[in-house]
Amino acid sequence: MLTLVRRVVAALGLTGLIATLFRLRGRGGVAPQSGGWRDLDESELR
Amino acid sequence: MTVAVAGIGTTGANVIRHLIELGVDRLRLHDINPDAERQVAGLVARGAEFAPPLGGEPPAAVILATPCGKQALMARELLEAGSHVVSISDSPEDVVELLRLDPVARDRGVSMVVGAGMAPGLGCLLARHAGDQLDQVDAVSIAKAGTAGPACARQHHLALKRPGRDWVGDGWEFRAGGSGRDLAWFPDPIGARDCYRGALPSPILLHRQYPNAKRLSARVSATRRDRLTARLPMMREPHDDGGPGAVRAEVRGWRDGSVETIIYAVAAFPSSVAAAVAAVVALRAVDGKAPAGATGLCEWPDVGEVLRAVHGRGVPISVFEGVGA
Repeated sequence: MLTLVRRVVAALGLTGLIATLFRLRGRGGVAPQSGGWRDLDESELR
Repeated sequence: MTVAVAGIGTTGANVIRHLIELGVDRLRLHDINPDAERQVAGLVARGAEFAPPLGGEPPAAVILATPCGKQALMARELLEAGSHVVSISDSPEDVVELLRLDPVARDRGVSMVVGAGMAPGLGCLLARHAGDQLDQVDAVSIAKAGTAGPACARQHHLALKRPGRDWVGDGWEFRAGGSGRDLAWFPDPIGARDCYRGALPSPILLHRQYPNAKRLSARVSATRRDRLTARLPMMREPHDDGGPGAVRAEVRGWRDGSVETIIYAVAAFPSSVAAAVAAVVALRAVDGKAPAGATGLCEWPDVGEVLRAVHGRGVPISVFEGVGA
């Protein structure tokens, strides 16, 4: 019985660790490959 | 004309600076912390009194720069006294409760401006400015990076552990805070930041202007440490000013039968940007240029004028030119 509990706890812990790693690593997309920012002047804010 | 500022934190102090530069000569300032009042005493040597907003004749307008939560209680009293009220709260609960004050504000013929900071606030203005150039708006996405003072940083921390609210199709969808990673590209010096869902109020306000949009969403930038510790108490004291930061509004829709995407952004210190928006908006309310009742800035009829006034306060507004932003 104790062995089963240990295995369940270990499995849950491992799952949580893997989930955390997946959650924290990686990026949400790709930066734009073309174009860029241009400051607006007042006449464009109409 | 007296303008009151409640809450003299990092943003509140910037609001005072903008109001003075805009020519307001009578200020009523209040903070529950006497040290905060003492710190700005030199800035406002003349024409300022330190008293609660309702400590005398009602001011023409009151800017609520207090930490999030319970702003509606104070706002109701101020509206009933006949003052215009401008809130910079970025708490969804505050925004919902403040919008409920619409009948009170209309009854007194004053304005309750909800979400007049950086996001919500400038983000809503940018979204509306983009939306006005389209025949139909399908999707609006607001992204924000950086924080203002310590109260703003605490709200950012809180937002990441609570569900985010997106308008999808014909209903609200609540998803876990810290999920929905999206790489948002901001102007320099911010650049690319991973942004996530959180308890952010911008979609609530955008939905009032764009009820037929297919998607309205908001994201906030966060580091891995932010997300890992979101469900824990804050590990260390927040910075006095969490800038520089940025806000960006991406609007997709139709123009002349083809799909268009317009993206505007601002990269600057959130404390100064939020303060500039709040100060400009408060003075417009005093001048009778704000709609009566409780409104968000994306509902205002003269968004271009407001943006020009904010731009005039030293807030640089950029447009993304190119595809795949």
